[in-house]
Amino acid sequence: MRTLAKFSGKALKTCNTNPDIEHEARVPRKILKCRAVSREISFSSVHAMEKFRLEQRVYFKDRMLEEWFFEFGTVIPNSTNTWQSLIEAAPESQMMPAQVLSGNVVIETKFFDDDLLVSTSKVRLFYV
Amino acid sequence: MGLLSLLRKLKSAPDQELRLLLLGLDNAGKTTLLKKLASEDITQTTPTQGFNIKSVQSDGFKLNVWDIGGQRKIRPYWRNYFENTDVLIYVIDSGDRKRFEETGQELGEILSEEKLAGVPVLIFANKQDLFNAAPASEIAEGLQLHTIRDRTWQIQACSATSGEGVKDGLDWVCKNLKKK
Repeated sequence: MRTLAKFSGKALKTCNTNPDIEHEARVPRKILKCRAVSREISFSSVHAMEKFRLEQRVYFKDRMLEEWFFEFGTVIPNSTNTWQSLIEAAPESQMMPAQVLSGNVVIETKFFDDDLLVSTSKVRLFYV
Repeated sequence: MGLLSLLRKLKSAPDQELRLLLLGLDNAGKTTLLKKLASEDITQTTPTQGFNIKSVQSDGFKLNVWDIGGQRKIRPYWRNYFENTDVLIYVIDSGDRKRFEETGQELGEILSEEKLAGVPVLIFANKQDLFNAAPASEIAEGLQLHTIRDRTWQIQACSATSGEGVKDGLDWVCKNLKKK
């Protein structure tokens, strides 16, 4: 499976997903000022799947800040699919500053077909 | 407009998860419409070889909009995405008169599906910006929409690229969501 992650429209990384590799992504720090942030995942699959789902978790150091489960169901063979999630940002007063967040935020996305773990993607964010 | 504002309007009933399903023939403009809903740049759209989903979450309330590719080889999979649909949005290219019959047949089949029984349907007569676009009234007549009696329905003229009519369609969606 191939996955591509995007942040508010900017492509971060194309990767052949390998659970052992953590990818790094540099995003402009002004993204922290946005009222809403979108994350987009694009994935392609040669094989059909019936109960495709993902679990996405955002960690700051080892603490989980946010999690989102999503069930796709059927994946059509030889398809390319996208999922974009739009999240309202925390009020600025509650937002940690970029220099604290940078390098300490990891977005982990696990893809499953029913209970079978298909792939894991980890992206560490740097706010530049 | 935009998905966040749509979500805010719908938030009167909390702890809900809403599912809107976009269907229609290939090149009808489903993905462009989806992008317009998310206030995204729509200069580039390629044929969808699967699905595109946009999810919005606000205060525990979730809205998921599903856009499934409309190519002939993908259509047999449409039924896999019917379940739990709250509103069906069917998109038609109003300038593609040659395929009105084909799109009418597909719509007819969808509406006879048990999993979509009673689900309100909004028909977008898209691409009204084209010089040869058929008006919504003509499409409604051609598709014999007046014969739909088992659900609420609406046809709305729109242009996904300019955005005209899109908001009116969404307002209809808001009003016609079934209370869960």
